[in-house]
Amino acid sequence: MTIKWLWLGLLVVVSPIAALFFGAADLSTSQLIQCITQGCQDPVNNMIFWEIRAPRVFVGFLVGAGLAVAGATLQNITRNGLADPYLFGVVSGAGLGASIATLLFSSKLSEQLGIIALFPNLPFSLALPFAAFLGALFSVFLVQIIASKSFGSRTEHMLLAGIAVSFMLSALSHFILFLGEPFAANKVIFWLMGSLARVEVWYAWVMLPVVVISVAILLLYGRHIDALLLGDENAKTLGVQVTRLRILSLAICAALTACIVSYCGGIGFVGLMIPHIVRSWLGVTSRIVIVGCVLLGGCFMVWVDVLARVALADQEIPIGIITSAIGSVFFLLVMSQRRH
Amino acid sequence: MRQLNHYLLSAFFWASLAVHPNLYAVNGDSKDSLQKQRIIALAPHIVESLYAIGAGEQIIGTTAFADYPEAAKDILQVGNYARLQIEKIIQLQPDVIIAWKTGNPTDDLARLEKYQLKVIYSDPQTLEDVGKELIMLGKLTGREAASNSVAKRYLTRLQKIKKTYAEQHKVSVFYELWSRPIRTVSNKAWPQQQLELCGASNPFKNATDDYPTVGLEQVLVTLPQVVVQPGHTGAESPDALNWSQWQHIPAVKNNFIFHPNADKVHRMTTRMLDEVVILCEQIDTARQFYLTQG
Repeated sequence: MTIKWLWLGLLVVVSPIAALFFGAADLSTSQLIQCITQGCQDPVNNMIFWEIRAPRVFVGFLVGAGLAVAGATLQNITRNGLADPYLFGVVSGAGLGASIATLLFSSKLSEQLGIIALFPNLPFSLALPFAAFLGALFSVFLVQIIASKSFGSRTEHMLLAGIAVSFMLSALSHFILFLGEPFAANKVIFWLMGSLARVEVWYAWVMLPVVVISVAILLLYGRHIDALLLGDENAKTLGVQVTRLRILSLAICAALTACIVSYCGGIGFVGLMIPHIVRSWLGVTSRIVIVGCVLLGGCFMVWVDVLARVALADQEIPIGIITSAIGSVFFLLVMSQRRH
Repeated sequence: MRQLNHYLLSAFFWASLAVHPNLYAVNGDSKDSLQKQRIIALAPHIVESLYAIGAGEQIIGTTAFADYPEAAKDILQVGNYARLQIEKIIQLQPDVIIAWKTGNPTDDLARLEKYQLKVIYSDPQTLEDVGKELIMLGKLTGREAASNSVAKRYLTRLQKIKKTYAEQHKVSVFYELWSRPIRTVSNKAWPQQQLELCGASNPFKNATDDYPTVGLEQVLVTLPQVVVQPGHTGAESPDALNWSQWQHIPAVKNNFIFHPNADKVHRMTTRMLDEVVILCEQIDTARQFYLTQG
């Protein structure tokens, strides 16, 4: 067991540093080592390294960690191995927000309605993630309301409500894109494929406290979440306030996912795949799974982003394509192994 | 009349010199230094126009699909229409980036501007704007004489085509931009302006959107006399509608289905007119046929 943790620790140290050596700009190894150890001499290299590449690697780690932790927590509190942050309609909600922002801030309609004049200091590059964040929160809120008011509090009902809300919001955003200009539809579709390309330093400073506080709270309630795995009734007899814990965990997962999706777009399968690997590799109790997800999810995303940056010489592959490709194959492998 | 046309054309030409806001940005630089500026051109039509005025050698980076002239294929690519490689662009340290307002990712461009890189926008809306853009690029690269001459030649030719077909009998044309779903052109769309230039009437001209999607039934009841199906390199697109199944439509019955080269007609460059002239002539063939049929 200790050896496994040591390996994981080594991976966490090596991955982000190694990832700094890959990118579209051609920086030599000596230049990079100088940038890391003494600071870059050349101001252009300095900008590339400290304002583009390093924040991207750092945020990639946080995004992977956040999605994996959110997935693991949702799987535990719903006692359903198929739960994923995106099942709650977060991506569809963020997509709807992004579509509305595109329609209102980046089309002829925005000029006709005078929206740009109303918000002169809000560029489209900020309006889109902001609207996506609101859309993501709206979808989570809607799922909660529908699940609790219409079906009762059973967790599988919440998943079903999530799927229904997801389809509903997707239909709305597709309708908006259909009405909009073809160029606007392109923007949203590529945004939904997910990317860390637009990451800037300020976003790293937003994501860091969100991930750290979320993980800290979940670790604090680790034993309570473990009790939930035994069933609601058993958890209650152990003194766990089941409903309150479930709402708190959901709120944390929603905040984590909304923060990530609103800025980085749809990055699927990480929240589903990483917790499964961690459970089979390190153990099933919540605290172990959460720490394992932070470390492995972070490293996974760092390397996926390296692949996105360097696989094609002159272009970047949207990161969601890679995670979904890896995730789907992983899923099929797990299913076939279980069958045998 | 000819003199008046010439006068109007000249007035437009010189007015276009005066109105472009970006022209003043480079007034202080010497011609020699402007001709040595290192440029990143973020759209195929910008690359083509730069080559047309002799500034092709100044391009150090471009995006995917910049494939004309042949030399453009060797230019380093720094992204595509969905995403730019910011790291690579910063490392190249261009003197100026010429971006396409509606065709490049706005968040990436905003970021480049944030890093103090000079970004100038190309935003051609009308066929005449191609001339304006050439003049703007000429100013930017210190090649005013060449660009003015190319622009003037282009605008004169455009005016000539306009005059040739302005008073001609209108032919009903359906422009099949995309087949699934069927998307056509209207209003101020680029191909719509070309259709108007050729004296064609588009039944969907007044749709609310520039590129509206329309139903097959809507299209068939208009009984178009000509169908235009643009395809890459002028060939019929494999995904295009199979019109031969609707023999009652005049365009099908009389075989007036044309396939202009999409790479030329959809690119806002001087080369576009070569293909438009062919399209206008094809439409005119149909016009003469229908006129003789009564």
